[in-house]
Amino acid sequence: MSMLRGFLILVLFYLLGEAVRLIFLVPVSGGVLGMILMTFTLMLRGEISDALASASQALISVLVLLIMPGVVGVFFMASRFSGQWLAVAVALLVGTFLSVLTTLLLMKGVLHLSERRRIRE
Amino acid sequence: MSDLAERFIAFPDALSAGPMFAIGLTLSAFFAGNWLFARMGKPLWMPPVLLSAVMLAAVIALLSVNYVNYQQGAVWITVLLGPATVALGIPLYQQIHHIRALWVPIVVTLPIAATLAAVYAVLIAWGLGATPEVLASLAPKSVTAPIAIGIAEQLGGSVPLLMGGLLITGVVATLFVDLLAKWLPISDERILGFALGLNGHAIGTARAFEISHTAGGFASLGMGLTGVFTALILPLVFRL
Repeated sequence: MSMLRGFLILVLFYLLGEAVRLIFLVPVSGGVLGMILMTFTLMLRGEISDALASASQALISVLVLLIMPGVVGVFFMASRFSGQWLAVAVALLVGTFLSVLTTLLLMKGVLHLSERRRIRE
Repeated sequence: MSDLAERFIAFPDALSAGPMFAIGLTLSAFFAGNWLFARMGKPLWMPPVLLSAVMLAAVIALLSVNYVNYQQGAVWITVLLGPATVALGIPLYQQIHHIRALWVPIVVTLPIAATLAAVYAVLIAWGLGATPEVLASLAPKSVTAPIAIGIAEQLGGSVPLLMGGLLITGVVATLFVDLLAKWLPISDERILGFALGLNGHAIGTARAFEISHTAGGFASLGMGLTGVFTALILPLVFRL
């Protein structure tokens, strides 16, 4: 019962997010809007109910199951993107290498600067 | 006797007309994938979702189940992605205290790095002649799956292609972080965790939790913030 109550809260936030998306024509999915609303609500309340914690834990632990039907589609669409696989592969490999490098250097640099400033103060 | 044989040949299609067949198939592949993953010694380059998906695709092809029928039945599973995305707000809230402690580096790094994660890939694919549909499928490649699916749908991308891109990105981001951490060298667990979550979404975050609890916390935060930031920014950029 407790988990179902938590699930209801998640569904209500999702519907709230969808309502915001449809009424204000926000180009962001209802799930993400619901997640943002959920995070702000928790920050205001400062605590998580047991029902919500157990329902979210249950859903997050089976996320892989929920995305599997989408993943399977990769094997049934080879012909649709023929001729673009090289572009996709290079973009993923080189793009990810560059973005990992950027993140590491940027975070290291900024962290270094802000900690040095703190020491000086 | 030939009637029986005919019915036997026709049974996958007849069964797969209802959603329960797709649910049973997906659940079986999920458990089989997890079992095989554990048996293989939990390799980083082969996440359980890939193992499950390969098995599921093989069974669908072998039984010659109509793929469209399967997808219609599987809606009973994928519809839960909506509330599951909302549920990600709870770990995000639990990690938010890291922002208070280190808000300057996070606030400076996140928008730049999350934007570049999408821009690098889109620019490279565009330069190599990819179509707008492919670009829209690649743009959310560093975002955690439930959020990325919503983004790709909003941008007009292909969800299956996105899922393939997500898997590859997660695996290679994890390998690149390990590699670059040695080369640069960087040993700060907060930086490594943040980079893993920001670039490698859930797969990178799983790796970060293997490094340490701190790295895992920063990875969760990086993953959550990247998801929110990308979901808010990409649709606006793509409209232009």
